[in-house]
Amino acid sequence: MPGPAPGTGPAPSVIGMTKIDSRPPAGTVPPGDGARPGGAMTSAVTFTGVVKNFGTVRAVDGLDLRLSPGRTVALLGPNGAGKSTAISILLGLIPPDEGAVEVLGRKPERAVRDGLVGAMPQSGRLIPGVTVKELVGFVRRSYAAAVPDVALPSLAELLETARITDLEGRRADRLSGGQAQRVRFAMAVAGAPELIVLDEPTTGMDIESRRELWTSIRAYAESGSTVLFSTHYLEEADDHADRIVVVDRGRVIADGTSEQIKQRVPGRTVSFDLPTVHETDSRVSYESASTAGVALDMLPGVVSSEIRGTRVRLHTTDSDLTVLALAESGRIRNLEVTGAGLEEAFLTLTGNGENR
Amino acid sequence: MTLAYMRLEMVRLLRDPGYLVMSLISPLLMYLVFTNLDLGGQGDGKAALYSMVGMAGFGAVGAVMGNGVSIAEDKPLGWIRQLRLLPLGPVQVVAGRALCAMAVTLPPILSVCLSGAVVNGVSLGIGQWAAVIGLLWLGIAPMAALGIGLGYLLTAQQAQMAGLVCYMGLSLLGGLWFPISEFPGWLAHIAQATPINRYGELSWRAGDGHGPTLLGTVVLAAWAAAFVAFAAYGFRCSTRTAV
Repeated sequence: MPGPAPGTGPAPSVIGMTKIDSRPPAGTVPPGDGARPGGAMTSAVTFTGVVKNFGTVRAVDGLDLRLSPGRTVALLGPNGAGKSTAISILLGLIPPDEGAVEVLGRKPERAVRDGLVGAMPQSGRLIPGVTVKELVGFVRRSYAAAVPDVALPSLAELLETARITDLEGRRADRLSGGQAQRVRFAMAVAGAPELIVLDEPTTGMDIESRRELWTSIRAYAESGSTVLFSTHYLEEADDHADRIVVVDRGRVIADGTSEQIKQRVPGRTVSFDLPTVHETDSRVSYESASTAGVALDMLPGVVSSEIRGTRVRLHTTDSDLTVLALAESGRIRNLEVTGAGLEEAFLTLTGNGENR
Repeated sequence: MTLAYMRLEMVRLLRDPGYLVMSLISPLLMYLVFTNLDLGGQGDGKAALYSMVGMAGFGAVGAVMGNGVSIAEDKPLGWIRQLRLLPLGPVQVVAGRALCAMAVTLPPILSVCLSGAVVNGVSLGIGQWAAVIGLLWLGIAPMAALGIGLGYLLTAQQAQMAGLVCYMGLSLLGGLWFPISEFPGWLAHIAQATPINRYGELSWRAGDGHGPTLLGTVVLAAWAAAFVAFAAYGFRCSTRTAV
């Protein structure tokens, strides 16, 4: 996976970072989140001790989760972590073996029947024999009949939002992968539901299509709806979610903002430039760098070091001490302290396939 | 919403080339060929009426089986699941499918009857026409339930096989192609127990000016009850697996 782009990468320093409570307390409803009457709700979705087995495989293993209304939450986990099973339970497609799920203050099936939920399941293709407009129009009508008191966007607006106006006359089963996903997204939001659930929405899409789809999803999230999406693309969770819930082997193993999850992994990287050496004297340059490397490993907190050209990267368990020692020796050219990347954090948290 | 769903599925089915061949072209062609070669071996007028009802029923069977196969074909696409994620009740979904099945039987029934009247000179009173067409239409309901049950229960390939067996096999056995009076006695007895024979019997008798027999009605009603139960069972199974 490509490294974080400049500007979206890890924060340069952990010093002074405000620690936000990773689980907003129940009742923190952001203003104007479009809550409809009838559901006095403190959370959009609540999983309580949910367990689901498939034969001898425990897909979901005591999942507890509470999602606040109006937030965008990523369910991040490796394949087989139980993301899709959890989502199927949340959508009322399969019953949990133990525990309970509440969606917008009611049972999942009820919330779906009441038109409060829109979903984009992971697998699934569009059906033959209908045009995009007929299909999305039908879905929109089904919501319109279920929530007659809510003013839904017109079909034209809906097609525009999902950027499929130019496809309206095309047969739904003859679209490219990216086009089909946009149509499926339009179906998920056709009823302007309070909660949309997107199960790996961009899997198998090219970068351009992914970007377009995310533009639409973000626009929808900004209207105040709760968005839950699962992904195994770390950058997607990093870029688009207010909160990331890391799931592995059917359990929540980390939960918080992207920054908080990165902080769960101890260790920082301190990097700086070595004093420049004349390029012509490569032998001297090599020697000084190598000598410097030995000395650098002795600095407080440093676990290992690497030198690339004139740039030194120190991996440290205590960046404060390391930086102080470097400052004393006067070697602070272009000093930078970075936390672990989300990918590193993710691999550490999920045990990187080890410790199983 | 049931009607909106019915319309969506109907549009899809009518655009399916398979429907066109199985439900419209085949019965119509076979009707014109059979009656003009007089393979029924009966007098002209009677044969024309007999074959008209038989081939209209044949087309109707093809239409309801096509509806069932299309349900099975929708499953791997995730369409059944997608419907469960919409604010639609299971009753609305199944009712929409059933109404769709009934609606798509009308084109074959009407086109064969029209060609019977125009090409083969079948002449009936208005009341008789209404009875023949009405019974051809309503009487197909048990088979529509069977098709829906097969569609929900089976994979697309299995449903295609089962649909073909019902379309060809049951139609032949039920006497839609040739009168069962031409069958050997033991086969004729079996034929009389089939739903399709009793379905055809309704309209054959109506064409002759007779009402339905008690036995025929009971046999058909029993099949109807069994097929509706089967459809309900198939639908429940599909909701357990269509995840």
